Amino acid sequence: MQQTPLYIVASPHPRVGKTLLARLLLEFFHSEKRQLLGYDLNPHEPTFAGYFPRWVFTVDIADTRGQMELFDRLIADKPVSTVIDLGYGAFEQFFSVLGEIGFANEARRRGVETVVLFVSDRAPATVRAYGALRRRLANVAFVPVHNESVSVSFDKDDFPLSRPELRTISIPRLSPIVRGVVDRPSFSFATYLVKPASGPTEIHDWVATIFNAFRDLELRLMMGRLTSALGGVSLGPPPLPGRTPRG
Amino acid sequence: MAKPTIIVVGADKGGVGKTTVSRTLLDYFTAHQVPTRAFDSEAPKGTLKRFHPDITEIVDVTSIPDQMRIFDTLSDASVTVIDVRAGLLSPTLRALRDIGFLDAVKKGQFTFLVFHILGSSIASLNEIEDTSQFTTDAKYFLVKNYFNNTTFFEWDQATHANYFKKLKDAVEITIPKLNEMAYEQVEVASVPFLTFVANKGPKNDAANYSFVLRGYVRHWLGNVWAEYDRIKLNDIISATPANPRVQVVR
Repeated sequence: MQQTPLYIVASPHPRVGKTLLARLLLEFFHSEKRQLLGYDLNPHEPTFAGYFPRWVFTVDIADTRGQMELFDRLIADKPVSTVIDLGYGAFEQFFSVLGEIGFANEARRRGVETVVLFVSDRAPATVRAYGALRRRLANVAFVPVHNESVSVSFDKDDFPLSRPELRTISIPRLSPIVRGVVDRPSFSFATYLVKPASGPTEIHDWVATIFNAFRDLELRLMMGRLTSALGGVSLGPPPLPGRTPRG
Repeated sequence: MAKPTIIVVGADKGGVGKTTVSRTLLDYFTAHQVPTRAFDSEAPKGTLKRFHPDITEIVDVTSIPDQMRIFDTLSDASVTVIDVRAGLLSPTLRALRDIGFLDAVKKGQFTFLVFHILGSSIASLNEIEDTSQFTTDAKYFLVKNYFNNTTFFEWDQATHANYFKKLKDAVEITIPKLNEMAYEQVEVASVPFLTFVANKGPKNDAANYSFVLRGYVRHWLGNVWAEYDRIKLNDIISATPANPRVQVVR
């Protein structure tokens, strides 16, 4: 069965570039002319929804109604490429509910593949959170994201890949001036790219690099599904460092 | 051939989740394919009967004709669950003693279980001692139903020990809290928990319940059944050989 991706952009910390990544992903889908949808789970600061009022809905999952509004809709609606910008405040609640209700398995049954884009940082708590989440949600694809604006170095042992065919995504650092342009509410990456380059092309190169990473990710996800479907080769998660593989 | 099993589910007061526990037991036995029937003593309108109409009869446990309906037909089903009206647990057990049922249990003719659903009051905990005089030959379970934020005096070790450690043969069971909205949707649907999880209606027709709420019920029911597995409930009733754990499925 064809699987449509559901990307969850997550980090247990604020100000690591989650919304920027979510924006890029949605604009990538738009540039590929796909049907798309987004959810902003920062009800007190819905920046993601602010950039895309036509495509992104703000949801508060603090109560059961909000959880139903999000997860019931993700299950019931026809699958389209979807991005969730998971505010750090809702991090624990979101994954707790997702695990408890068995969302990933049901989503897969309905043709939706759940992929967590986990934005990394150097804090030990973030490393622990990544490991704990992977153990709790063993059947979900986890893709570490290294935002070079947040941390210069990235230790891949702290954020091991959940599947052998996947790769870490790197978001190169942007210069502060260009970052200021990009952060404007009216700025659209996709629109900028189609304009002839009359000024700095740092944005062009930057977006092209990231969009290529997204294409690579989707190809690798597809490759993983094909390999699994054809050969029955186990694509189970590689064991976390220092722990025995799960049965 | 296995002995018939009688399970009495009772509490000293209403609103502690007695019938909820009875419903989880009926679902547990359904999943393990154990022939089961139930008697609901909340006459005239039984709550348990609303959820399990096909296997539940409404009775007055203290009336002789209804006692005959229950106990003269015990061999017809492997398991008989009696959901006792709130406040009547001790009187019901006294009635069972008076009709000779407890003697029959002592002689090994029946397997007898008492699920005592506790409330978060000293009066409720005092009921344990009253009940225990009738459970000498029974499996006696003290059920803590965490449907609200009660702690059952766990913060006060002396009080907790005074009630829960006194009876060495009584076994504690913990029923975790179920999401309130999920519980209410099952109430509205008027179907067993298992049927709700399967997204079916009262006539086994396809329903359209919230996936989130079904997930909460499935997760909760799985935890409740894990408690029943922990106390080896299936082995106790001996209706089937010890089976691998049955999972709650969609």
